[in-house]
Amino acid sequence: MQFDLIGPISPAVISTIFIVILLSIIFVIAGIRVKKMDPAKTPKGFMFLMIVIVDFFNKFLSGYITEKRRFNFFAPYLFTILIFLAVANISSLFGMTAPLSNIGVAMSFSILTFIMVRVTEFKFSTLKGKFNSLVGPVKALAPIMVPINLIGEFSTPFSMGLRLFVNLLSGAIITAIFYGLLGLIGGLFAGVALHAMFDIFFGLIQAFVFFMLSTVNLSMASEA
Amino acid sequence: MFDSIFNSVIRFATEYNEHFANGMAYLGAGIAVIGGLGPGIGQGFAAGKAAEAVGRQPEAQSKILVTTLVTQAVAETTGLYGLVIAILLIFAR
Repeated sequence: MQFDLIGPISPAVISTIFIVILLSIIFVIAGIRVKKMDPAKTPKGFMFLMIVIVDFFNKFLSGYITEKRRFNFFAPYLFTILIFLAVANISSLFGMTAPLSNIGVAMSFSILTFIMVRVTEFKFSTLKGKFNSLVGPVKALAPIMVPINLIGEFSTPFSMGLRLFVNLLSGAIITAIFYGLLGLIGGLFAGVALHAMFDIFFGLIQAFVFFMLSTVNLSMASEA
Repeated sequence: MFDSIFNSVIRFATEYNEHFANGMAYLGAGIAVIGGLGPGIGQGFAAGKAAEAVGRQPEAQSKILVTTLVTQAVAETTGLYGLVIAILLIFAR
């Protein structure tokens, strides 16, 4: 387990870089091949898989963000985050350290969310609307409501990053405890259930939850 | 004479304090994890209500499932804070 905030490159960061390179190679290839594709023919193999994934995502997201301008602005960011988190959370199945079990990687996600929410506010809402949402509906209570709302602006991204980190870390700790208790032979049998539970199930659910909460936060920020 | 007794008392006190602090940290970690009670109750309540909603309106099952997952993950946060405190008390003291 790595608890160093500052230090030499930790294994979690190395696996993050590896996943980023892998995913960018896959999606750059997909992007180049999509441009050369013949619209009249049915796509096959690799391209078919990519198109199915993107189409499923677009259909799912358009149920939550209906307006076209907002959808075009949010969809690429949300898709990137969903794919990266889903691959990163199941990456410990392939012998890498789960990137999100390092607090530095998880907190960078909360910084990313924070920046994205601010960019959304600048793009979609006016200064007056932002001011009104900070002050609240009752003007007399402004001295109490403004600090609370300002804390809320920072605490939402922070808790989102922390949620990712602790979920992945608790899975890693429980797996390590079971391996330590059961030894080699017992660990071989318990590992099947443990990794299925903590890496695949919880990891994918956390990726999905982070994506859904980003969607909700961004659409709330764009409507304020 | 008095000096050596004083020194040994000081040494005993520092050693005792170290063990005392260790034990109290583990005890505090155990108490912090009691915070898991709240999310357990809350998630169970949310799951029960979701099951009720599916029973009443089976065609909306996928939307109810998504909403339940997200709200349960939000309700989980307080328990995770307790877990963070326990982990910090044990490992990063």
